[in-house]
Amino acid sequence: MSGFLSYVRRNPALGVGIGMLLFLLLFTTLGRLFVNPLHAYPLSVMPTQPPSAQYPFGTDVQGRDLLAVMVVGTGLTLQIGAIAGAIGLSVGIVLGFVAGYSGGVLDTVITSVIDVYMSIPGFLILVLIASIFSKVDLGVTEMGLIVSIVSWAGPARAIRAQVLSMRERPFVMMSKLSGMGTFEIIMKELVPNLAPYLVMSLSQTVYGGLQASLGLEALGIGARREPTMGMTLYYVQYYSALMLGMWWWVIEPIIVIVLVLTSLVMTSFGLDEIANPRRRKTV
Amino acid sequence: MKQPLVEIKDLKTYFYVKAGTVKAVDGLTLTVETGTKLGLVGESGSGKTTMALAIMRMIRPPGTIQGQILVDGVDLLKLSEEEMRKARLSKIAMIPQGAMNSLNPVARIKDQVLDGMLDHGEKFARGEEEKRVAYLLDMVGLQAKVAKMFPHELSGGMKQRVTAAIALSMHPKVLIADEPTSALDVVIQREVMEMITRLVNDLNLSMILIGHDMGLMAQTVDRLAVMYAGHIMEIGDVRDMFADPLHPYTKALINSLPVLGNRGVFHGIPGVPPSVINPPPGCPFASRCPDVIAGICESQTAPLRELRPGRWVACHLYDGEK
Repeated sequence: MSGFLSYVRRNPALGVGIGMLLFLLLFTTLGRLFVNPLHAYPLSVMPTQPPSAQYPFGTDVQGRDLLAVMVVGTGLTLQIGAIAGAIGLSVGIVLGFVAGYSGGVLDTVITSVIDVYMSIPGFLILVLIASIFSKVDLGVTEMGLIVSIVSWAGPARAIRAQVLSMRERPFVMMSKLSGMGTFEIIMKELVPNLAPYLVMSLSQTVYGGLQASLGLEALGIGARREPTMGMTLYYVQYYSALMLGMWWWVIEPIIVIVLVLTSLVMTSFGLDEIANPRRRKTV
Repeated sequence: MKQPLVEIKDLKTYFYVKAGTVKAVDGLTLTVETGTKLGLVGESGSGKTTMALAIMRMIRPPGTIQGQILVDGVDLLKLSEEEMRKARLSKIAMIPQGAMNSLNPVARIKDQVLDGMLDHGEKFARGEEEKRVAYLLDMVGLQAKVAKMFPHELSGGMKQRVTAAIALSMHPKVLIADEPTSALDVVIQREVMEMITRLVNDLNLSMILIGHDMGLMAQTVDRLAVMYAGHIMEIGDVRDMFADPLHPYTKALINSLPVLGNRGVFHGIPGVPPSVINPPPGCPFASRCPDVIAGICESQTAPLRELRPGRWVACHLYDGEK
C-alpha cells in the first residue's frame, strides 16, 4: 500500500482517477444507507422542490428525490459502463489476439471486418438497435448489452496492433523453440506483457460505453424506468427544466456525469503511463 | 565411425517472394554423430540461422522446407505440428541468437525455466519445482537465488546461462546454439562457451554451433562445416580443416584471420557474396574464387564429395581425385 502511494505521487493522474472512482462507488453504495432508494422513482416525494434541508438536492417534477436519484443512478450508470466495457474488451481481446497472433488470412478477415464496422457510425447502429427494442421494457443490463455492440471494435484493433509487435519479440521465439503451445505462449508470454495495456483498454472501453449509453438515453432510448444519469438528462430536457427555473435538476446529473467520465479518463491516462514507458516521467 | 544422430539430407529452404525465389539453404547435406560438436561457419546471410530454424521447423510462410531431417531415425519434417512441438526441447533444443532479449521481461526466471517443461506435460510434486530449477541453474553455474529474479536483474552472461538452462532442461539429444556468445565480452564468452562445452560432454549431446568466429570454433568443435550462400563448401575434422584447407573459400577464410604478432596487412576476401534470390548456376563462390576454372565453375555446381574419410569438399579443383 505504501508502495502504491509513493507511486501515485509520481503518477498523480492515476491517483486522482482511482480516488474519484472509489469516491463514486462509496457514494452509490454507502449513500443507500442515508437515502431511501425508492425515492429515486416517480411519485415518491413532493415534486418541484428546490434544495432544502429535507431534500438537499431538490426534487424533480415527477416527484423523485434527486439525492436518491444521484445515489442510485450513479451505480446504474457505472453498471451500464462496466457491462459494456467487460463485454467489449473480452470480445476485443479474443479477436485482437486471434488476428494478431495467427496472422495470414484470419488476420485479414478480422481486420477487414473491424475496419468496415468502424466506418459505420456506431451511434447510428445503437439508435437502430435500441429503437427495435423500444417496445420492450429495457433494463440496465439490456442497455449494457446493447452498448457493447459497438464497444468491441476499438479494443480489438488496438490489441491486435500490440500483439502484432509483441509476437515478434525474441522471447516469444524462445518459447516457440521451447515447444510451448500457442495458447500457453499467449497466456504466459503475451498477456503478462500486455496486462497494463489491457487494463488501460478496459477503462477506455468503459468510458466509450458510458458515453454511448448517455447519448442514447438523452434521446429517450434506454432504461426508461431506471433513474440513470442519461435518463435523468432526458427528463430534464423533456420537461424543459431550465425554462421552469429548476437549475438544480440540470446541474446535478451533469456534475455526476463529469465526475464519472473524468475519473475514467484520469485512470486511463495514469495507466497509459504504466503501459507505455516512453511516456513515463523520469524518477 | 559413430552412429549418426542427426542426418540432414538435401535440405532446401526456399522463400517464395515477389522478387523471386530466395534459396536461403539450397540442398544441404550434413550428419552429426552422437556426442560430436559440429561448428557451422559462414558469412552473414549464408543461411546458417535459416538452416537452424529449418531443423526446428520454425520457418514461416512464404518459406518452405524440403528434404529430410532425421533425428534419431525420425524425420522431423514428417511429424505433425503437435508432435513437432513436443519434439522441440525434449529431443532437439536451440539457444537462439541474441539471448539477451530471449527472456520474457515480466516473468521470473523460475517460471520461464519451468514453462517449457510444464508444457511438455512434466508433472512436479510439491516443492519439486524449486529443486529442479535450482538444479538446472546450478548446472549452468548460477546461484539458486537467480530463480526469483527478473531478467533485467541479470547480466548478459547470466541471461545467456539461463537460456542454456532452459534449452537443456529436458535433456535433449541435440543442441543447436546460434551464436551463443555474440554479444558478450571475450572473458564471459570463454566462460559461457566452456560451460556449454562441459554440459554437452557431460550429457553426451550432439551440438551444432553456429558462428563466424573461426578462433572460437577452433577451440570448441570437433568437426567444422563451412557454409556459403546456402551451400556447404567443405566439412571435415576441425584440425584437418585448419591444417590443410581444401576449398578456396575455406583457405581464404583461414587466411583472413589476424595472427598474433603479425603486423602485416589482413587478407580479406575481395567481393561480396552473391544474392541468393534466383542465384546463377554454377559454384556460388566462382565470382570471388582465386582458383576459378574458366568454363566449368560458372556453369556447373560442384557436388559435395568425400575426398578422404570424413572430409567432404564441393569444388571442381578436386574433380580428378577420387
